[in-house]
Amino acid sequence: MMTDQIAPSQTLNDDQLDLVFKALSDRTRRKLLAELAQGDASVSELAAPLHMSLPAASKHIRVLENASLVKRTKSGRVQYCALQAEALADADAWLNHYRAYWNDQLDTLQHFLESDPS
Amino acid sequence: MTVADLSLVVRRRIKASPSRVFAAWTSPEALKVWWGPQGVRCPDAHVDLTVGGQYRIANELPDGRLLWIEGIFEEIVPDEKLVYSWVSSDQQPAPERVIVHFKPVSEGTEVIVVHERIGSEAAVEDHTAGWEGCLDGLEQLGLIGHA
Repeated sequence: MMTDQIAPSQTLNDDQLDLVFKALSDRTRRKLLAELAQGDASVSELAAPLHMSLPAASKHIRVLENASLVKRTKSGRVQYCALQAEALADADAWLNHYRAYWNDQLDTLQHFLESDPS
Repeated sequence: MTVADLSLVVRRRIKASPSRVFAAWTSPEALKVWWGPQGVRCPDAHVDLTVGGQYRIANELPDGRLLWIEGIFEEIVPDEKLVYSWVSSDQQPAPERVIVHFKPVSEGTEVIVVHERIGSEAAVEDHTAGWEGCLDGLEQLGLIGHA
């Protein structure tokens, strides 16, 4: 519950969150994440359904990697990508500050209006 | 600069007519009574309910600090909808935006709060990001579990 501040703040690493939110602000990267949610995939498996070149896909994956959203491992000549959900959970926790804030506000509004049904 | 145009939606059904809920949301006297999450008091509120008009809401935190939330009304549809900018005096880099819908339902009113541009560092005019509740979408994919 947000009892001591209005906006969420320094409890989570702001720099890390910036990276996550910037990584997520791109449609292609969101599609890549959704794809990886189904399971690990190679870079070419990720690129094909999006009709992207490997370098283009690789560039997006690097942004996701920098935000700790994706982990890349090499197996022989093939690079595999895996989703790292922890970073997403951090971003979601940050947004939850706001959810909690508005839910609290609506609690008090509801109490105010329903306790005096005039 | 890249924008992370985060938004979220919170809904609540309240047993009161849309006009009562709208009045509670926009009347300084009512705001002083109900505004503020647990532990936060609202000692002062000003509302100029006109398009382009300003509101200011004081938030007295449990440690006594006073924090102002303020903004400008961008759209007003009486008893139905409010759109306003949202700036909190403590730390925000750029105005966020709040849209409140007061929807009539059988038991009274459904209040739908949409809080947009959370944490946005971009100019107010920048609509390019199109994030639109991506986290909710990812949540539905089962990526994020809620406590």
